[in-house]
Amino acid sequence: MSSRPVPQSADAAAARCLLCNVGCPVRVMRDGPDRYLPDYVPHAGYAGLCARGSILAELLDHPERLVAASRRSGDALAPCDTAAAVAEAAALRDGGPAAVIADGNHDLESIACAARLAAACGGRWAVHLPPGDAGLVASMDSSGCRFIGPEDLAGADALLVIGNVYATHPVAAHWVFEARRLRPRTPVLVMADGCGVTAEFARDVFQPRLAAGEAARAVAAVRTGRTEALGAEGKALAAWKDRLRAGKSPAVVVSAELGYADAAALGAEVAALAKELGASVCPLTTYGNAWGAMRLAAAGKAATVEQVLADPPRTLLVIGADVESALGCAAVAPALAKVSRLIYVGPMPNRMSDQASVVLPAAFAFERAGRALLGPGREVRFGPLLRPPLGVPTVGEVLAGLGGRADAADVSASVPLAAAAAPSAASAAPEGGGLLLAPAGDPFHFADGSLTRRASWPQAVRPRPVLAMRDADAAAAGLAEKSRAVVEGPGGSVEVEVVTSAAQRGGQARASAAFREVRNIFAWNAGGPPPGGPVRVRIRKP
Amino acid sequence: MPDAPAVPQVEKRVVLDLDRCIECKSCMAACFYGHVKMTGINFVDIGPAVLPVVCRQCADAACVEVCPAKAMTRDESGVVARGIFSCRGCGSCVRACPFGVLSLEMAGHQVAKCDLCEDRLARGLEPRCAAACPTGALRFVTAAEAEAEGLAVLGGRIAGDHPIQRR
Repeated sequence: MSSRPVPQSADAAAARCLLCNVGCPVRVMRDGPDRYLPDYVPHAGYAGLCARGSILAELLDHPERLVAASRRSGDALAPCDTAAAVAEAAALRDGGPAAVIADGNHDLESIACAARLAAACGGRWAVHLPPGDAGLVASMDSSGCRFIGPEDLAGADALLVIGNVYATHPVAAHWVFEARRLRPRTPVLVMADGCGVTAEFARDVFQPRLAAGEAARAVAAVRTGRTEALGAEGKALAAWKDRLRAGKSPAVVVSAELGYADAAALGAEVAALAKELGASVCPLTTYGNAWGAMRLAAAGKAATVEQVLADPPRTLLVIGADVESALGCAAVAPALAKVSRLIYVGPMPNRMSDQASVVLPAAFAFERAGRALLGPGREVRFGPLLRPPLGVPTVGEVLAGLGGRADAADVSASVPLAAAAAPSAASAAPEGGGLLLAPAGDPFHFADGSLTRRASWPQAVRPRPVLAMRDADAAAAGLAEKSRAVVEGPGGSVEVEVVTSAAQRGGQARASAAFREVRNIFAWNAGGPPPGGPVRVRIRKP
Repeated sequence: MPDAPAVPQVEKRVVLDLDRCIECKSCMAACFYGHVKMTGINFVDIGPAVLPVVCRQCADAACVEVCPAKAMTRDESGVVARGIFSCRGCGSCVRACPFGVLSLEMAGHQVAKCDLCEDRLARGLEPRCAAACPTGALRFVTAAEAEAEGLAVLGGRIAGDHPIQRR
């Protein structure tokens, strides 16, 4: 049996991992009453499975999983009869202002059910997506680009890769490597951190400054050849366009990496560059069904989450989304204080379920059959990974019980978003002294609020947070490789291990975002910069 | 004097193509979930990269020789496996392994040890780490296959042109 992976292709029978829009097929075997084994069977074009996909098996019987309904009694949630909880949740339709906020990483049918329920109770609805995903989809969907999935990258003969995609979408790297294997002279040009793993395999690397919009400005410099705004480091970009144009089938792989991505502006610039080059675009999003969710939200005239919270409803139904972690306490807490009844439906507890009046358990998206739109022209139909435990209903079944039944045949995400005005790249770096710090994406929890944070394995494999910085910056601070350093930011301080690299841009650093103590120093959840944004920090010896 | 009986050898080993490893730890996750949450794969920091090392199933296995509890044994297919009931977690094998494959991090007072996913081999499948690897960096191949691909064995790994620097 050959150990060389084969190209991935659609397998209608398989469950899909929707923890990113590569959408890998996943299979799990039951190996006892509370044990599951991911089954790495090379079926139908299987191309490996990243750690996040393996983690799905751990989520199935996670000890914190919601398996019974509960309702608030005083300050605590107490288990209650499911029928009683559903009756209480049905108060959503009692009249008065109501709203529904659904997490965008459900299947198309479940999102349609949320829209139907909101319409049935005369309320507003919104879909929550990571800002990077929302920006990329909004700016690219109507651009007229030729979109491809990651499995088509093997056919590219010139590649521009934006973001540390090998860390955040490891399986997508498979086809870049295949392109390189088939045509060893294929130029792989990377815009990402110099110390990131994607840059390690690049022919040439440009590392943008850490500031919103810098990645968009760099892509614009490639397109126009005008690199003045990027300083001396950006001069090399002037030649990238010709190097990409030299290929017969160039491709751009784009992800909105934390730190320097103004996703909407980045998407618009990538679309403009791709059209000039005649290149294909492979957009990579954090949510597997980000494209489908955005299209259904647009078709259903959904509000934004911010709009819903700006005029808080009397009754709010939240489906799977952890809005407070995503937007920050400062933005969400005042609105929630005005909501008299908060109903939470989802598979795992989070900050929203902690504050809810009623909590209804629901299956994970991968525990039901459904459809997802991984990208333009990439709609997939998938089967359930396994049945949910203890008869936990699917989101669609819960919402249908509340009056939000949607006929799957009527649910379509085939219509692209309407064209939006091309945004310009916003703002520069945060003011102040010290180093600029941004969170580092990693292969298992690359999105803040990720379900995979609940799994035990990532904690076992990466027990210590690290700080990646330029060797000269480290030396100036009296630090060396593997020494300890204290990072002081607007939200507090943390002690980390230093990793130095000559490839890292001076004056800026990355820290592992997988650790709560690291995320705290950014003060994202206390009225500081937007989640994922860089901050100024001071770094010193302990 | 009669010849010593031939020691059975594994036909295929898990080896690493350094030019393809993106350090995503998918192999470690696959091993972790496939072996009751104990992983037989370790990552070693060689400076420019943090790379997985997988047991080579040595022909002259030091771990088998030093194990005081006879927990490390070689089966008829050549796989060196750790007996789940006899391992005391003393760590002798960890210190004896010349490749640093075995780890002192012990779970349940046992040293985690790669058994080449014997359950999968019996089904004609390759070990989980190689099957899960997104980039094809971990390969389950015979020595002849590795040689045919023009790769050179280096300290338990297979490297490209340069042991550290990637293309």
